Amino acid sequence: MHQFVLQRGKSAELRLFPHISELGIKKNGAIQLNTFLSTATDDIRLYYITEGKFGWRIDHQPYVLYPGDVALILPGVLFGSDDGVLEIGSFSWLHISMQKLGNGHLLPGKWSGLSESEGAAIGKILLLNYTPVLSRFNEAGKILKCIHAELSGHEIGYQTRVNHQLDELLIQITRHMTTQNNPCRDFPKTFMHLEEALRRDLSYQWTVEEMAALVGMGTTLFTERVKSYSGFSPINYLINIRISEAIKLLKRPDISVTDIALDTGFYSSQHFSTTFKKLTGYRPSDFRKNHLHNK
Amino acid sequence: MECIITIELGTNGVRVFAFDLSGHVLHSMKGHYPTFHTDPDHSEQDPEQIFITTLYVIKNLLNQYIYPKKYKVACICFSAAMHSLLAVDKNGNPLGNAITWADNRAKKEALELRRSTRGASLYAATGTPIHPMSPLLKIAWLKNRDPERFKQTSKFLSIKSYIIHQLTGKYLIDYSIASATGLLNIHTVAWEADALQYAGITAAQLPELAPIFTTAGKLKMAYQQSLGLPADVKILIGSSDGCLATLGDGVKGEGKATITIEDSGAVRVMGPTVLKDDQMRFFNYLLTDDCYVSGGPTNNGGNIFDWFARQFGDFTKPFDIADSMQLLLEEASKIPAGSDGLLFLPYLLGERAPIWNANARGTYFGLNIKHERKHFIRATIEGILYEIYSIGKSLGEQRNIKSLSVNGSFGTIPFCTQIIADMFNKPVQLRREFHSVSFGAWLLSATEMGLYRSLDEAARIVELPDMYEPDQQHHAMYADYFGIFEKLSTKLFDEFEAIGNLQQKYAATKTVTV
Repeated sequence: MHQFVLQRGKSAELRLFPHISELGIKKNGAIQLNTFLSTATDDIRLYYITEGKFGWRIDHQPYVLYPGDVALILPGVLFGSDDGVLEIGSFSWLHISMQKLGNGHLLPGKWSGLSESEGAAIGKILLLNYTPVLSRFNEAGKILKCIHAELSGHEIGYQTRVNHQLDELLIQITRHMTTQNNPCRDFPKTFMHLEEALRRDLSYQWTVEEMAALVGMGTTLFTERVKSYSGFSPINYLINIRISEAIKLLKRPDISVTDIALDTGFYSSQHFSTTFKKLTGYRPSDFRKNHLHNK
Repeated sequence: MECIITIELGTNGVRVFAFDLSGHVLHSMKGHYPTFHTDPDHSEQDPEQIFITTLYVIKNLLNQYIYPKKYKVACICFSAAMHSLLAVDKNGNPLGNAITWADNRAKKEALELRRSTRGASLYAATGTPIHPMSPLLKIAWLKNRDPERFKQTSKFLSIKSYIIHQLTGKYLIDYSIASATGLLNIHTVAWEADALQYAGITAAQLPELAPIFTTAGKLKMAYQQSLGLPADVKILIGSSDGCLATLGDGVKGEGKATITIEDSGAVRVMGPTVLKDDQMRFFNYLLTDDCYVSGGPTNNGGNIFDWFARQFGDFTKPFDIADSMQLLLEEASKIPAGSDGLLFLPYLLGERAPIWNANARGTYFGLNIKHERKHFIRATIEGILYEIYSIGKSLGEQRNIKSLSVNGSFGTIPFCTQIIADMFNKPVQLRREFHSVSFGAWLLSATEMGLYRSLDEAARIVELPDMYEPDQQHHAMYADYFGIFEKLSTKLFDEFEAIGNLQQKYAATKTVTV
């Protein structure tokens, strides 16, 4: 494969793909200075190494990448190498623009064939599980090659196939990232990781599918393992954390019961009140009264 | 029909059992709660989550299995892990998380006190080894390092005391849990003045002392309603997991010892006198004011085999560690006892009894070119059990142990139980359903309800149907290898410290590599 660069606005090949801002292949035969400078963009950027060894800095951390590795750079993350050095070797890359929601979540654009909920789940998991280097990720190389071929071949249906491949890429990245973080050996550790993610974003309406995807499992196996490890179904375990956090907040006088309900992920203060009373026997406001002026 | 509910507030979660009045398990359920390690030395749990999880599990058990069968709950009895500490303010609200037994933050305080003469006299008075696990040292740590929280603290509770306070409004601590705080004089059964002074607190800042048969007040109306329990349900304060596991195995009386191996482990005996030890190796906790549960704890039990399985086991199904362990056990059983001379020191987490060396580390020793992967598996299991044997051997210096019982998920694996019998050269008994702690809580409840006249009588009904007889040949071989195991454990003292220091030093300079 020869070197090339396609850029949005400059290259006719990308006219049908406004969400692809850049893609290309680079074969670097000699060390170059001041060419690979640190930048942050609004795109998701992906670099797949085919030859050589590259020392890059992602989000201020140094990493060394080898053939088969992928550098994944999320929007706003700094990426480049120290002093802009580009070492000898080859890689291909792709920059995709994502839709960014008000709450910081990422969504693929209209081009994507992913369902709304799966697209949202992938966007969320990318942020929560963010791992800048995905190692031994040859699938990514194959998909990039396929996109290159479709773009230069212009055969019938290529627009659809390129977009399919982009979806496939997002799915593979998400799966690879979760299995890399959860090597399927240590369930307690994986569960702890899940628990931390839930607590960081307790107001979010988590679905079982999202929780399972976060730790790289299918929902059936996930539900079974969570149940046997924790004694609760995933959703009941989540309710458990929600009520525990709500109790802590109720013991502080400075937050309204409605805010507590929403902060801890209940649909409404009514929903909160019912769930809380079922378990504790108290309405939240009575529980608060008892604990603020005990004796 | 009446039933008894036992609630075990453990290290990883709560276990609730329902028993009928003849001691049969009607049903059990568990609920997990997490441990937070915000710092490598810290080990904390959220008291609210423990409380909510406990309520949730009780409620589910009652509604799904007990009420449909028309049982009426007569009594609820508590057991809990020892050594936890929770500071609360004047309204009884937690000041931060509860600190668990595994927390190591007070290691500096512990080292200093252990080396002082005051340490020796506090150990003799309180029966609790001078170790960061001890609430005595945790309170001292708060006083020195977190003076703001220390000043705001109205009471220092155990996790069980907190749960009981939520349910009944009373601040109580039972003798067993109290005797594991390092603050209780186990001879006079009163708070030890010198310990209070060392911790910088007064007795008023501790919950009220209560014998294990105490009714801990009346269940609050709201919980009667949410759990569907009658107003007169008896809330028994109960005891600690260690004491109840010993009682539950019927180890009351001469010549008996019990071995518990879960993640961590212990060897325990019970009797009317304490074990005195100049080297401060043993604990002496109270079951009642005239019955001590004494022994030595280890950090390295089933968790070390877990570690081995996670690193080196085959995972045919994702996250199926039980399956992976089964395969390892099958492989280990193909290697002769003694692992052809491969020894393993299991001190991956430092060690408590009998060497009490936080710097101790794991070691494979005696490796030769003929050893295979299978030898490592067997050696790892044998190493964990040599360590248990070394505790038992040191206890044997003071008590004549004739028979053993085993409980806990790791110890009751038949392969492990047989090795224990062989190493100790004594018959080992165990119960097929593994719930010694909860059964101990049932014996306690049944005695309180008048079904037995005394705990002694209750303990005598305990039947442990499974018996493992020692193999003489294996015993002789294990005894030979154990000599080297024991020597290495102390001989490597300087090197353990040196490697520990280097590990700490270079951990600080670690860079990201992929």
